[in-house]
Amino acid sequence: MSSELRVEQLRKVFTTTTAQGPALKAAVDDVSFTIAAGEIVVLLGPSGCGKTTTLRCVAGLEHPTSGKIVIGGTVYTDPQGGVLVPPRNRNLGMVFQSYAVWPHMTVRQNVAYPLKSRGVKGAAQDKAVKEALDLVELSTYADRPVTQLSGGQMQRVALARSMVYQPQILLLDEPLSNLDAQLRLRLRDDLRRIIKRVGLTALYVTHDQTEAVVLGDRIGVMRDGKLLQLDTPSAIYNEPADLFVAGFTGATNVIEGRLVSRDGAFGVVAVASGEHVNARVGGTVAPGTAVRVALRPDNVVLNPVGPGVNRFLGGVSTRHYQGTQTVYQVSVLGAEIEALEVGSAARHDENTQVTVGLPPEACWAYPVAG
Amino acid sequence: MVDAGAASLAASDKVGVTRAWVPWAWSGFLIAVLAFLVLYPTSMLLIGALTTTNPVVEGYSLSDISIGNFLAVVMNPNVAAALGNALLACAGGTAVAVAIGLAFAWVVVRTNTPCKGLIASAGMLPLFVPPLVAGVAWSILGSPKTGLLNLLLNKAGIPFRFDLYSMSGIIFVFGIYYAPYVYMFTAAALRNMDPALEDAAEISGASATRTMATVTFPLIMPAILSGMLLSFVVMLGIYGIPAVLGAPANISVLTTYIFALTAWSPPRYNTAAAVAVILMIVTGVLVYLQQKIVSGRSYTTVAGKAFRPRPLNLGKWRFMTLGLAILYLFVVVVLPTIALFIAAFRKFLFIKDIPALFETKQYGWQHFIKMFDNPLTIASIINSIKVGIITAIVGGLLSFAIGYTITRTRAPGRRMIDVITTIPVAIPGLVIGVAYLWAWIGLPGGLYGTLWILALAFVARFIPDTVKALSTSLLQIHRELEEAAWICGRGTLSTIASIVLPLARPGVVAAMTLLFILSMRELGSSLFLYSSGTMVMAVQLLGYYEGGNIGITAAFSLVQMVLLGVLISFTNWLSRPGRGSAAIKPDTAPTGVVRSG
Repeated sequence: MSSELRVEQLRKVFTTTTAQGPALKAAVDDVSFTIAAGEIVVLLGPSGCGKTTTLRCVAGLEHPTSGKIVIGGTVYTDPQGGVLVPPRNRNLGMVFQSYAVWPHMTVRQNVAYPLKSRGVKGAAQDKAVKEALDLVELSTYADRPVTQLSGGQMQRVALARSMVYQPQILLLDEPLSNLDAQLRLRLRDDLRRIIKRVGLTALYVTHDQTEAVVLGDRIGVMRDGKLLQLDTPSAIYNEPADLFVAGFTGATNVIEGRLVSRDGAFGVVAVASGEHVNARVGGTVAPGTAVRVALRPDNVVLNPVGPGVNRFLGGVSTRHYQGTQTVYQVSVLGAEIEALEVGSAARHDENTQVTVGLPPEACWAYPVAG
Repeated sequence: MVDAGAASLAASDKVGVTRAWVPWAWSGFLIAVLAFLVLYPTSMLLIGALTTTNPVVEGYSLSDISIGNFLAVVMNPNVAAALGNALLACAGGTAVAVAIGLAFAWVVVRTNTPCKGLIASAGMLPLFVPPLVAGVAWSILGSPKTGLLNLLLNKAGIPFRFDLYSMSGIIFVFGIYYAPYVYMFTAAALRNMDPALEDAAEISGASATRTMATVTFPLIMPAILSGMLLSFVVMLGIYGIPAVLGAPANISVLTTYIFALTAWSPPRYNTAAAVAVILMIVTGVLVYLQQKIVSGRSYTTVAGKAFRPRPLNLGKWRFMTLGLAILYLFVVVVLPTIALFIAAFRKFLFIKDIPALFETKQYGWQHFIKMFDNPLTIASIINSIKVGIITAIVGGLLSFAIGYTITRTRAPGRRMIDVITTIPVAIPGLVIGVAYLWAWIGLPGGLYGTLWILALAFVARFIPDTVKALSTSLLQIHRELEEAAWICGRGTLSTIASIVLPLARPGVVAAMTLLFILSMRELGSSLFLYSSGTMVMAVQLLGYYEGGNIGITAAFSLVQMVLLGVLISFTNWLSRPGRGSAAIKPDTAPTGVVRSG
């Protein structure tokens, strides 16, 4: 029953008032992607990046300025073509950030509501409600008022309500952000299992990287209304497309330099101290370009064993012992970078010399402009 | 999970394109209704003020429209006298109200006076007394010859006499009854003020009085001004008090003068319209100033963190503040109630000495029996209930529709709808009455003379309050609750019926009850719109008073007070905390009552 979702060149422009008067701001700027039937795609990005607006355009709750939304081969949104199907006729399921379960109804009434809109009555309705509640493990709560449920249970009611009518696509708008941390972890794993069992196509919006990695078949990273990279979680983490995506996956160490030469996917970057760093380089960057090299603290190796490239002499400036891991501030290559070592024993003291190993495949060089 | 659902969906997959004309039609409809209720009558009032033709005899005519007609009225010395009296009475009344209200606020919020919670709630009671009833009670107490207080003074051998039939009488009664308004504003400001601001002044070396003068007062000044302006505006629109206390002394204010003009033979409708326009302009300017003060309150005293103002320890003086508070409550609540009871149950109001006051054979139900023997009494009660029900239903539905459109939709022109809805804030009830008179009296076979014209005038008069209350209530319903229903396959109307209305129900019910109460007691606009067949309670009470029968007047006042008391308790019960999250805020109810005077 689940369908493919195609979003083509979606744009949503708002009029904002600035000190200079009204100005146009693109909340969603030329976003295109396709989700295969049964696939889960997570849109990830900081608040205000346009991910929720994109999702609400798919739902029909927002009207985009231009672009097309095609679900299962039918065009549902095409402002230029004069097509704007209202949300009620899209046959989508949606789980809201605030749960949006109706407080004046019981669990059963909430879940049966969309079936009533579709004229499903009697035994068929009871059966569908029971199956949906079984799926989210709330069958014993069917006749409770929803106001007596915990946050996690309310979110399960919302999930059951959004799936009970087998929607073409399931939309989830930061469904876990109002829950406490522990519950969030449990429900996160449950969510993927439930969606996959039903085989729904899902578009999921969040600002939490770990949630995205655990839930998504693919992750789309957004910023300022643009979709920067849409890829599998491992590609996002191991081959981020630009400095922002790299930063979003935790690559907080940035070293300035200039690309000296390149050979295939790798190149040599001259940094401020004059030393040369081997790094992965994107396809279009030519030698001579100013670049920034980004890498994650957990990829920095202190006093590596055995031979290798990218070994530099550095010093430990500070040490922050955090129990199961230790974060060091290391001065190397004329810059201060962070290194993270896992384990409950801190191996290096402050003000000692260390050899710093930067694995070339974990160093990503991006051109400075853009 | 359900193949049936999928199948039916496929059948209904008629990819419906949004009908773009629907929001336009809806906004057009609402604007048309508001134009009918608000804009058309006010325009007719303006036309009336600028012409000299009698609408009853000659119909409406624009032939002699001229600003000269309006100026001629403004130049009239009687109008100038009425305007002067009105401004003097309201200024004096406001001064008294500020003195009492401010002191009350300080006692309740900033001192350790005993029983201050009780004092605070009892202090709001005057807000619920209809002005005409207050006027009647005080005329029983303080008429120069037969007033109960003066009889007591006479028996006690004190040569001093109260004379409430005077400008100072009007000022006094205005002041004591509208002090709670100033209290509401200033108490809130005092309560929200961070005590650290005052501590800082004292640590910098300022004395307690200096701190009060240089920190406390400047900080709550916007609240004082705001309360002052609003109580001034409310007094300006009141008919009952100056009608009862001013008439014997030949003191007319704008409201009583307007009514006198329409009661003359032949009625001077054009002059009445022109004076009403003057009243509307003065009110409009003051309301505008008040709104500016409220919105542009430059110093934020609310720091966002919770703090409890440290009450000043008054020592033994706290019993004096308690005494003063009790004295105020005695004067404004107990004394008038006693007066009404004595007048209502006593055969003759003449009391020759103190023991005569307690002679039981002097008391009985005779005034009540006589009152109910008059068929007009029952008729007026029934009419008032009918008008109240129509107002509550029409006003409730319209307010819900407007509130929903303003807060929940992207309908075109919703800003305009919002603005038109707030216009009546600046129009006193009496002026609405004159405007409706002008709008309908010249159209034979129309609304004039029916209960509907009263109800529609009340809807127009109170729509700003009910829309505001309902908007607050609607804003408390999370948007996503509605969006979830749309996603589930419901249209706008079905979503309103199954989700929004059930969740907003406590607010809607409270707003409708409030409308019912307000229209039951409304006098100002009823004066111009009732006919012999559509007599309402408030006007009937005035009739009894003007007929000179104090006993029946007092009896009917009591009946009305009991009716209103029951209704108000019912509203409080409806909107009590815990009856649903969207319940009307407790503080919106008194505001609505107050604005109506």
